[in-house]
Amino acid sequence: MSGLRPIRKAIDWGELAPLRLRARRVAEGVYAGMHRSARRGAGVEFGGYREYVPGDDLRWLDRRSLLRHDRLVVRQFETETDRALCLLVDASASMSFRGPRAPGAKVAFAGVVAAALARISLASGDPVSLTFLGAGGVSVPRSVGNEQFERIVAALEAVEPAGDALLDRAMLDRALQVLARSSRRGAIVVLLSDLIDLPELAAEQVAAIATAGRVLAVVQTLDPAEVDFPFSGTVRLRALEGGTVVETDAESTRDQYIEALEQLTRGWSDAITRRGGRMLRVTTDADAVGVVRSVVEAVR
Amino acid sequence: MTFLSALALAVALLVVAPYVAHRLRRRKAEEQPFPPARLVAPAPPKARRRSRLEERALFATRAAAVLFLAVLGATPFVRCSRLSLQRSGGASVALAVVVDDSMSMRATAGGSRSRFERAQAGARELLASAREGDAVAIVLAGAPARVVLAATTDLSAARAALDALVASDRATDLEGAISLAQGLVSSLPQVDRRVVVLSDLADGKHDGPPLGEGASVPVWIALPELATPAVDCAVLRADRNGPRVRVVVACSPGASPAGRDVVVEDEAGKSLGRATTAEGPSGQATVLLPSEDAAPARAVLVEKDAIAADDGAPVLPEAGRGAIAVVADSADEAVATGGAPIVEQALSALKLDVDVRPIPVFPDRAEDLVGHVGVLLDDPPGLTPEQRRALATFLDGGGVVLVALGPHAAAAPLGASLEPLLARPVSWTETKSIGADPATAVGELSEPARSLEDVAAPKRATIDAQDASAFDPIVRWSDGALLVGRRAMGRGEAWIVTLPFSVEASDLTLRPAFLSLLDAWVRSARERIAPKRSDVGTTWRFPGARSVEVQGPAGAVAVSRDDGVAHVSPPVIGTYRVAVDGKTEARVAAPDVRELDLRPRAAAASTQGGAMGERRAAVDVSGQVALALLGLVALEMALRVWSRRKVEAV
Repeated sequence: MSGLRPIRKAIDWGELAPLRLRARRVAEGVYAGMHRSARRGAGVEFGGYREYVPGDDLRWLDRRSLLRHDRLVVRQFETETDRALCLLVDASASMSFRGPRAPGAKVAFAGVVAAALARISLASGDPVSLTFLGAGGVSVPRSVGNEQFERIVAALEAVEPAGDALLDRAMLDRALQVLARSSRRGAIVVLLSDLIDLPELAAEQVAAIATAGRVLAVVQTLDPAEVDFPFSGTVRLRALEGGTVVETDAESTRDQYIEALEQLTRGWSDAITRRGGRMLRVTTDADAVGVVRSVVEAVR
Repeated sequence: MTFLSALALAVALLVVAPYVAHRLRRRKAEEQPFPPARLVAPAPPKARRRSRLEERALFATRAAAVLFLAVLGATPFVRCSRLSLQRSGGASVALAVVVDDSMSMRATAGGSRSRFERAQAGARELLASAREGDAVAIVLAGAPARVVLAATTDLSAARAALDALVASDRATDLEGAISLAQGLVSSLPQVDRRVVVLSDLADGKHDGPPLGEGASVPVWIALPELATPAVDCAVLRADRNGPRVRVVVACSPGASPAGRDVVVEDEAGKSLGRATTAEGPSGQATVLLPSEDAAPARAVLVEKDAIAADDGAPVLPEAGRGAIAVVADSADEAVATGGAPIVEQALSALKLDVDVRPIPVFPDRAEDLVGHVGVLLDDPPGLTPEQRRALATFLDGGGVVLVALGPHAAAAPLGASLEPLLARPVSWTETKSIGADPATAVGELSEPARSLEDVAAPKRATIDAQDASAFDPIVRWSDGALLVGRRAMGRGEAWIVTLPFSVEASDLTLRPAFLSLLDAWVRSARERIAPKRSDVGTTWRFPGARSVEVQGPAGAVAVSRDDGVAHVSPPVIGTYRVAVDGKTEARVAAPDVRELDLRPRAAAASTQGGAMGERRAAVDVSGQVALALLGLVALEMALRVWSRRKVEAV
């Protein structure tokens, strides 16, 4: 895994210092009764109405609104809840890619962001778990404390991107099962992946996480070369998963590729936001502090 | 070729260098990882498409440039080969160019050019190397050999005469042409004289003595590559009799005319019948036509060969050999000979290619003489007015008459005469002198007339002096009186003999000169009534004709006059329309069978040109090659600019 670099050196913690303060304020909701959670859900104090989406608890369906307006509306209540952070990092083969302008491999950048989020969350006293999507990593169960941060960092450093999600369709299912067990209602789930070589229905499967009272943020992590397709002339490209090899003329197919990537991202974004999740796209040459701040903003 | 020139030419092997460079440039793109590769649409690489278009032109240009570079490096070792004159000491040259325009020169000389065209090009090359002061004459070797241009120092006139030459189907007369050419330059002031022969040497006499042997002027056979053996077949004649067409095919020695397919076509090229020539040396085939319709048709050989011009011939109605009408007193003669009159027996004994038809009296109507080439009247007792008119018409139409005068002619009844031959009566008188004077004999009888020196004739016919003066004497009696004479009448001719052909009157018929007389007269008759088909190049004579116009396959044919007699020599095979004094007839020029023999005749060693040092000349082409190379470099630059602009536009 040549693209990986020591992740502790890769993050600029000084830049994250304001982010840590914000994270600490969000973490205050972990402790039930101490402060109100911004999250809407089961509770005692009425918090308003919203449109019913499949997966909502039918106990909170407002029958009067259905009879009066012929609309499915659920009632929301403010509640005190657990704010655990569940990190799902894509460690499949495609994440090992590092383009010429990237500071590191995609999985390295995802590891930096994941560790930063874990530190912020652990500093707030919230539990953190780490799950890998792929064959080369060892998951870290949910826990708290400084030791947990060390375990997470060690797991991220030891990961070796491997596995083909297109060939091994059960890879995603296994990861989501582990994630479902470790995340309770109110947990924050952050997926760091390039979303490129995942199976056809992966977006729907991932989006379903957001329906059980969880907060979902999907961070599409791409190499700059994957965004702007910097090749020229005749190129022969080999996918790291799926075995696809393409020979093409870069200039004539650049626009088509960018459009296809946009369409892929749009598909994921539609699926995630439809379930109330958040979708971010970052490139590995972006400022890691800004990326973590965006993620924290997204899950507030 | 020296080592250096070979080394320079080896540079041509570098012609593959642009191709190798092209292949290296077009090698497969290096594979590189790219996770979202499945989102990339495969496309034919534009660079490769462009380079394909660009490099095809560039490759051709560069390859040509390398080749030209190699040739340029090899020059002056590599030179173009062409004919040119070399002169000893820089003196002017008297040159007689013999161009063979016979039918055999229509064969191809390797490639698409005919031998004649190659010979013409060779003559042009020779003229191009001629300088001011050189004398040039041009002679054609198609039979009969002709002088196209007498020796002249006007080279532009020589070029014009050369450009005007056209191929013909004549036979070959190389010896005559060389003799003519030698005569043209032998008296010129130039010391360096030579005869250049541009011929395939196929004159039908391949086993004849070597050409140019012992020639007074050096002979140079400049294009020996023309003398390559080939095989040719020709349709000699196609005669129609009813629905049957008899086709005669002949081939070059060594090739059998048997088993060759022949097709008779109409004017539109539609096949009317087909047959295969039978086994045997004659090569005859009989094609059966669907009808007896006498529409114009043509017999064509199906298989192609060296010369295409002789592969077809027009179909003509079958004609007889011609006939001689003999009017003699068979009753009296039978007493002496015990059979046919002696003149008939003599004509038969000569085995002439004519039919002899005895008729009792001279016909009253000219139509009765159609088909006859001559009429022999033995001691006619005068002619009636009707007979005289028929005789005049026969003579005007080209007929030939031989009249032997005897006692019956002298005793012509009242109202009968021998007009228009003789205006005055004939007398049968005692012979004052014995025998003829051989010294007065001319023509074919000059030698045989010796046998008439003591001819025994107690009496002879005597004609009036004025009548006698109208005749050209062939043989005279020893006293100067006319024994045999001839005179032109209309297009025909009248011969007269002052002795009858009866053995009772004289022993003339027992002398060898009698047979010579008959032979000469029949030949004259056959010459005057030319056959419808004759060999190409054979002269057609029209004695007595006032106006003659001839249209041949290649247009109008020039009519020449020799001693007032019009004559034409048809140059190519085909049908000719001949208008004589307003009367039109068709004649056919058939291929000369000698021209089918394409075996070259041997040439003397001195004709090869090596000794004269003028066989081949070297022409340095470095300048032209260098110019071509510069042009190619400019073309490559233009291609590059064009290609770059196109890329930028894309």
